[in-house]
Amino acid sequence: MIRHLLKGAVGPKDNDSRYLLDVHRRDLPGEATMRAYPDNEEVDLCVVGAGAGGSVLAQRLARRGWKVVILEAGPFWHPDEDWVSDEAGSHQLYWTEKRIIGGNDPVELGKNNSGRGVGGSMVHYAGYCPRFHPSDLQTDTLDGVGADWPISYQQLRPHYERVEAELPVAGQNWPWGYPHTYPFSPHPVSEAASVLWRGAIAQGITMRVGPVGIVNGTFGNRPHCIYRGYCLQGCKVNAKASPYVTHLPDALAHSVEIRANCMAARVELDPSSRRATGVTFIKEGEQIERLQRAKVVAVAGYSIETPRLLLNSATKGFPNGLCNNEDQVGRYVMVQGATQAAGRFPTELRMYKAPPAQVSSEDFYETNPSRGFARGFSIQTVSPEPIGWAEHVLADGHWGRALREYMRDYNHWTTIGVLNELLAEPDNRVTLAEEKDPFGLPVARFDYSLCDNDKANVAFSTEVITDILHAAGAQDVLTIQRFAHLIGGARMGTSPENSVVDAHQRSWAVPNLYLADGSVCPTQGSANPALTIMALSSLLAEHLGSRPATERSRL
Amino acid sequence: MRDLSKPDHLPNLREGGQPPEPSWLPRQRRGITPQMIGRYPDYDVFDTAETWDPATARVIAERMEVRGSFAFFTPDEQPTLRALCDVAVAQDAEPRIPVPELIDEKLAAGRLDGYQYADMPDDRETWRLTLAGLDEVTAERHDGYRFAGLDSRSQEAVVENFSKAQLRSASFDRLNITRTWSVCMRMILAAFYSHPWAWNEIGFGGPAYPRGFMRLGPTSTREPFERPGATDEDPVRTVTEGRA
Ligand SMILES: Cc1cc2nc3c(=O)[nH]c(=O)nc-3n(C[C@H](O)[C@H](O)[C@H](O)COP(=O)(O)OP(=O)(O)OC[C@H]3O[C@@H](n4cnc5c(N)ncnc54)[C@H](O)[C@@H]3O)c2cc1C
Ligand code: SF4
Repeated sequence: MIRHLLKGAVGPKDNDSRYLLDVHRRDLPGEATMRAYPDNEEVDLCVVGAGAGGSVLAQRLARRGWKVVILEAGPFWHPDEDWVSDEAGSHQLYWTEKRIIGGNDPVELGKNNSGRGVGGSMVHYAGYCPRFHPSDLQTDTLDGVGADWPISYQQLRPHYERVEAELPVAGQNWPWGYPHTYPFSPHPVSEAASVLWRGAIAQGITMRVGPVGIVNGTFGNRPHCIYRGYCLQGCKVNAKASPYVTHLPDALAHSVEIRANCMAARVELDPSSRRATGVTFIKEGEQIERLQRAKVVAVAGYSIETPRLLLNSATKGFPNGLCNNEDQVGRYVMVQGATQAAGRFPTELRMYKAPPAQVSSEDFYETNPSRGFARGFSIQTVSPEPIGWAEHVLADGHWGRALREYMRDYNHWTTIGVLNELLAEPDNRVTLAEEKDPFGLPVARFDYSLCDNDKANVAFSTEVITDILHAAGAQDVLTIQRFAHLIGGARMGTSPENSVVDAHQRSWAVPNLYLADGSVCPTQGSANPALTIMALSSLLAEHLGSRPATERSRL
Repeated sequence: MRDLSKPDHLPNLREGGQPPEPSWLPRQRRGITPQMIGRYPDYDVFDTAETWDPATARVIAERMEVRGSFAFFTPDEQPTLRALCDVAVAQDAEPRIPVPELIDEKLAAGRLDGYQYADMPDDRETWRLTLAGLDEVTAERHDGYRFAGLDSRSQEAVVENFSKAQLRSASFDRLNITRTWSVCMRMILAAFYSHPWAWNEIGFGGPAYPRGFMRLGPTSTREPFERPGATDEDPVRTVTEGRA
């Protein structure tokens, strides 16, 4: 109730990031004075990956006095110079090292789902921050598909609230899932999104504004959004939430060291005790291996790179990859179906204005047996910039003069998308490819195939958004079938036979090795994953941080 | 001229799936567009260039300078590449956006997209095989010709087959042709629509930091510097009477 009344007025405790940021510069404050631990000092925690999960864990535990080093493969961003208000110029934000994709329905990686650099994928995520529904954590029990999580929604809920206050999330009161409110008021809605909303209303579908991790008003030294629409290219304004602005400033102020351009090559193990001793890494340009020693290791490289690192860390005791004696590492990687349909309208809508993430619906989120498939999907407005729009037109089968014509018509179009919950399958899997990266490390191969339930879900949802466009009065409709988001790959579960980590995200095989990213999720719902990944890390930090410091070497 | 609130110029709604001849479009009066046609004859994204942040302005200035030189494609491959790029985005006259050069720059720098299909080679190899394949297909259909030497009709026919995965040749048989089409087209489109001339053609607002956008609708979706799509106005009268 208080949360509800005091919109925007109550900030998070225990996280000063918003005040530490500079009003005039976008650089992460504290880089120049950042703590530097020698490699041979055994720090309390070595995190691999400065993304959504890794950053929250580091920030939380640093506040508890842990000495933390984060190894990050990508660069330490200086947004004023490095990020641009330009689609093609943002290429360096993505993980563009080679990965091999296979299966019946290969998933394109790179700009579509993988970031690289301090802040991780959220640097260029769209900003939608919905929670998972309670049912997502029990899909096996409720619907006989997927898996049950070994934790409950109620365990996660306080951490959702905490992270929502830290990002901060703006949106209308949320009627779906576990109903809740947001700390910041909803943003104004562009005409391009309003047209879609009116179509939904005509179809009897409820939509609500948000939830987006974008400042509405001001938040400490973070300004209001300027509606320039380049969220997927990195927010140069500091309005959009990413760990770079929400957790890493506070982490640096609490003596965390972020070692950028450092690719983790292997998690090292003491052969006798089977405990992790640290992480071997290679700094770009140095070509020599270094070892950062640590009492606890947390891997947070996301669904492709976390399994890859474990598989690349094979030892005598783990000949098929670390933690992989039960053949679970890399399995159950999920993506969401992300079909987008665009409609043509008589007036100029100029969908490139305002963030792509504006209005969404979870009316179709839960299983409805009459639809003929398990689980469901959400609906969200999106808005491709010109290159994205060209890919959309191409996907509808146009090239040459026809494509140029549709492109010239850009300003008359608006776009709506879905996120389908696609089910977890053991053979949708990350393995190692023959090919090596420039450091000589085998790259990941990701095989993906849809099951019948997935196909039925995608087909049904495509019809729903097409109907919304027609109800809104669209004069022509173009559709692109695609995937978005990654999750799973080293899931949590109830036993080593069905998972890689336990309910505390601790690996079954190595007592002081934790996974702290999207790879641990057993299901994905139809919600965008970043908020949940952060909330899980927050929960993990609470668990680890509540132990007395003397116990760290025995965790 | 057409009423732009109507969709009758859109390929899906027309017989044959092709748009009207570009002659219905106004000639560009401000700034440059590819082939000097577009829907926003009085709009030039560079009019706002002084509002762009320096990092963005630099990236765009560098893009505008890409022209003329090749580091990845061999002199033998270049004519085929150029012909494919021209047909793929219907660039049939000057001024042209230098799509082949932009692609060459990307491939030479190894700026790939972060994934490779298991049944496909590296994108760089895909490009070489594609260009070889287009010449092989052409040689078979039109004795002694190379793809670049064909008239535009015949080139379009080959590309139409390419888009439908209907080409066979020694080089194409080493590729999954459906994926090849997508790899090549997406690189061509990313080059073309990264170029400010294309933004002028489609009326895109361009870089917007630190300025932002104010007009989200519903009253107006047009910033003061943005221009409405071409209307029924007679361009000759517009120019002589000075109405912008
Ligand atoms: C275009 C796009 C739009 C998206 N939109 C949304 C959205 O609207 N809402 C939403 O919730 N989610 C969205 N996402 C997804 C979201 O960004 C991710 O789910 C989330 O950031 C994943 O968090 P993570 O901690 O698991 O991994 P990441 O944030 O990806 O962090 C992993 C980090 O680890 C580093 N790393 C990996 N391997 C190594 C190694 N071996 N050594 C050192 N460092 C390593 C990587 O460089 C990276 O920085 C979007 C993603 C993309 C790409
Ligand atoms: S639209 Fe808002 S949140 Fe998105 S990049 Fe621009 S200022 Fe940032």
